[in-house]
Amino acid sequence: MVVSPVVNTYPLSSYSFGTKEPKMEKDTSVADRLARMKLNYMKEGMRTSVEAILLVQEHNHPHILLLQIGNTFCKLPGGRLKPGENEVEGLKRKLSSKLAANSPNMQPNWQIGECVAVWWRPNFETIMYPYCPPHISKPKECKKLYVVHLSEREYFAVPKNLKLLAVPLFELYDNVQRYGPVISTIPQQLSRFQFNMISG
Amino acid sequence: MPIINARSNNGNSDGDRLVVDIYPLSSYYFSSKPAAASKDETIADRALRLKSNYDAFGMRTCVEAVILVELFKHPHLLLLQSKNCIYTLPGGRLRPGESDIDGLKRKLLSKLSVDDDDNYRTHWEVSECIGTWWKSDFETLPYPYLPSSGRTPKECTKLYLVKLPSNRDFIVPKNFKLLAVPMCQLHENRKTYGSIIAGIPQLLSRFSINMVRT
Repeated sequence: MVVSPVVNTYPLSSYSFGTKEPKMEKDTSVADRLARMKLNYMKEGMRTSVEAILLVQEHNHPHILLLQIGNTFCKLPGGRLKPGENEVEGLKRKLSSKLAANSPNMQPNWQIGECVAVWWRPNFETIMYPYCPPHISKPKECKKLYVVHLSEREYFAVPKNLKLLAVPLFELYDNVQRYGPVISTIPQQLSRFQFNMISG
Repeated sequence: MPIINARSNNGNSDGDRLVVDIYPLSSYYFSSKPAAASKDETIADRALRLKSNYDAFGMRTCVEAVILVELFKHPHLLLLQSKNCIYTLPGGRLRPGESDIDGLKRKLLSKLSVDDDDNYRTHWEVSECIGTWWKSDFETLPYPYLPSSGRTPKECTKLYLVKLPSNRDFIVPKNFKLLAVPMCQLHENRKTYGSIIAGIPQLLSRFSINMVRT
């Protein structure tokens, strides 16, 4: 039997944040995004995407770092893997692209931990499921969420058009309206971990 | 046959641990045994009993088993149904000082095996903990994190994945029905099954469920 895995979390205040050039979304609407997904599927087959759960602590409660686009839409740092790309390497690439300063000597040493969730997209629609639905032999996307272990100090450079938020687990839990089905179920998927909440 | 759950395992070193073999429902045998003597107490009596146990022993810990079988090429969860609308996972409360694994095996014997089994014939393979739920009070809803108030919760429920062999005899007390419920029916169906059971598909999503053809 595997012993309960531990995640060390440090206070938000132990991290520093700067900005960098904007990273615009490739699509301006949901319809555009699904159309582009269809094109890519024709060329490359099922999309695999990887997303990172970065944890900090505030008031002795775990918080997840989310990128906010515009006024409401929140997403995890991550994105689509290139065809044949290794998952861990791809996630590091995406994390550096979204959150690291551009200079080569300020790259965080991303510690990619366990996969905590996998979601499947059966059709070119927005709905995803935590299992491949029966009778679906050709899912269009597979999205994997990984815990990323942060060290005590990091410097994050956030693209100017995005805001980086630290959202407590109790705010995410069950809040499908605001965060969608994938992010709002992360608290349950983290519940088997033991959080070691280290104060500053 | 298209491999439904095929995923590239590149870069993921714990790939082996995450594979769960499940077998067809038809490879298992089901029969019944007499119901255990029921506690049959009022809600008020139960509340008093839980409170006095808390005062004597501290937080109540329950362990529950997540057991899967295959039917119609889709994983199904084994659930116990009592009184027509109450669904529970096989499991129950730990005795003071009892380990999670010992307690879960004891409960599995009592809920799913013959009573006089000495645990050498029916070996339960308890795998990892897949989720934990805490209640700050006995009457409140369970949450998947410790209360942020810092107060000790009154109850903790831990879900463990239990791996079945390719065949097994299940002997269920007469006051329960044993059901195999498809994951797609549990998903987001909190009204029927409660948050804990309805959330199981999301807790299992990281595993590679291998539906073995026998």
